[in-house]
Amino acid sequence: MSSSTKASRIGEELWKTRVDKVNAELVTLTYGTIVAQLCQDYDGNYQEVNKQLEKMGYNIGMRLIEDFLAKSNVGRCANFRETADMIAKVGFRIFLNIAPTVTNWTSDNNQFSLVFDENPLADFVELPDDGRAQDELWFSNILCGVLRGALEMVQMQIEAHFVSDVLRGDDTTEMRVSLVRYIEDEMPPEEE
Amino acid sequence: MSYYFTILSPTDVPLFNIAFGTSKSGGDGIARFRFPDTAQYMNQFIIHSSLDMVEEAQWMNGNMYLKHIDTYPPASAYISAFLTPSGARFLLLHQPPQLPSTAASASGTSGSILGGSFSASALGGGSSRASASSVAANPTSPQTEEAVRQFMGEVYENYVKTVMSPFYRQGMEIRSSVFRSRVTAAGRKWL
Amino acid sequence: MAQPPRHAAMLSLSNSNSNSNSNSNSNLSTASDSRQPAHLATASHSSTGLRVPSNRKTIYDRHLNRSRNAELSRASFAFLFAEMVTYAQRRVTGIQDLERRLNEQGYPLGLRLLDLLFYRTISGSTSSALSSSSSTSASPPNRPLRILPLLHLIHGPLWRLLFNRPADALEHSVSPDTPNEYMITDNDPLVNTYISVPKEMSMLNCAAFVAGIIEGVCDGCGFEAKVTAHNQPTEMWPGRTIFLLRFGESVMEREKVLERAGVK
Repeated sequence: MSSSTKASRIGEELWKTRVDKVNAELVTLTYGTIVAQLCQDYDGNYQEVNKQLEKMGYNIGMRLIEDFLAKSNVGRCANFRETADMIAKVGFRIFLNIAPTVTNWTSDNNQFSLVFDENPLADFVELPDDGRAQDELWFSNILCGVLRGALEMVQMQIEAHFVSDVLRGDDTTEMRVSLVRYIEDEMPPEEE
Repeated sequence: MSYYFTILSPTDVPLFNIAFGTSKSGGDGIARFRFPDTAQYMNQFIIHSSLDMVEEAQWMNGNMYLKHIDTYPPASAYISAFLTPSGARFLLLHQPPQLPSTAASASGTSGSILGGSFSASALGGGSSRASASSVAANPTSPQTEEAVRQFMGEVYENYVKTVMSPFYRQGMEIRSSVFRSRVTAAGRKWL
Repeated sequence: MAQPPRHAAMLSLSNSNSNSNSNSNSNLSTASDSRQPAHLATASHSSTGLRVPSNRKTIYDRHLNRSRNAELSRASFAFLFAEMVTYAQRRVTGIQDLERRLNEQGYPLGLRLLDLLFYRTISGSTSSALSSSSSTSASPPNRPLRILPLLHLIHGPLWRLLFNRPADALEHSVSPDTPNEYMITDNDPLVNTYISVPKEMSMLNCAAFVAGIIEGVCDGCGFEAKVTAHNQPTEMWPGRTIFLLRFGESVMEREKVLERAGVK
């Protein structure tokens, strides 16, 4: 069984049995409120909004990983490919009930893409028609931070960013994830 | 039949408006108001003058669709209203086509139009237009009320999709071309 | 009720032009300023510049009921909500200010949820009718005209949409001095479940966000109100919260008029 199939099964099983649930729309609308508020507070400076969202995600990721490990009870991944499957098929399943596709690996196995067919964070959303938001705002940027924060807690420094988003008129929603390095055990995790 | 549809915010800020003509019984969907030069202005004026009626009806009748609520005889215009629970008003002005005789000698009949109380039968009867579907011919018939209700319901669905976006704030103009095309399609389908 | 909504983004439409034909019909002097025929020309045809994917899917193509029964992780909500509170905290001067800000963030959500609720009931839902006073579930829902149906709408359908259960209690103030006050109780508010409030902010109730949602629903329906959230713990329910709804004078006056007119 491939690591992806195995991860999918784990993810679905956990979603069914171990996850306390709430109405999805409450989550969607709350996130939309956060982004809209940031856009207002930063007066349409979308670069800054992206940054703030990433930071929020980082804070969440650092705490969320505990919840993830406690629920999933999975061991250490053998390599970055396994990590990718674990993120896509278990992590995203548990927290957003989706399982993005892992694809576009580089030959050194250090970079991959997550392609989202669905994104509950962006349900109901239409970006502001101000001639800039579609070029500058990454609406779901919080997810990049979540990955960075969570993986840092398990000794992986990564970089993640969106490269396309259907909200911008792109055909897909795709996040690029790169392994920067494995953090040695003796080094404390970096603080933001 | 020519239509002018507008959405007003709870504080009467115009959020959206569109003019179109009937697509029923061979209509080409193009609005032909009686006084083309001043139609836009007149339509807005008539719609706004119906707001008192809307506000009166609003608290006596809990339906969202208030049906035909006002008539403006000088322009033989009828107003139908639909209220969203969050306070936006959908108002549809409909103006039946001029009767052929009126077109032929406008001065002769305009007096009776101004003075007349626009009974449905007077509009629907007699002329060649009367053979048109009831929607086009009779603004207050049950069929028309039902068609307008369907139209309003379809617009409401698209309106809700608009306001659900976290970037939409109450009172914001609706500029989406997709929304406009949906309203146009609803008009074509029901009116 | 003629108060402009707090979040109305006024348009730069020229509806304040001096207008020789204005208002001959209006007898509502209080509303007359906004009652002039607006010049809609500027509002029209400024078509959207938004790009859409090649499959042309937009928000208008997504069915409004698609996520109706969808679920997500409770932890995800808690994480997001906690970030929202933390972020708000950085930009305020104290607890009251923080609660005000949370309230303001909930308010537009209330307006949205109101429209969504009614849409769902119209669009042939099989679930229960919106307000307990409305007739069968097949008929379209009624906009609440009186306070009581409004409160039932909040206590039942709104709470179910947000939290998958009705609120726990609905009460009217017993004091003759405050007939305009109503209370909705939630024994165990979701928004307080995962949020650990720092000691120095022990008075903070994050349910201020929900209070804002309620306020949006009230205002949207034309019932101007102030809604606040208050901690009322019991031994059994440490997170128990009372939402206090205070309706404005104009609402209470209208209530009397409608009562006399026999409007339910």
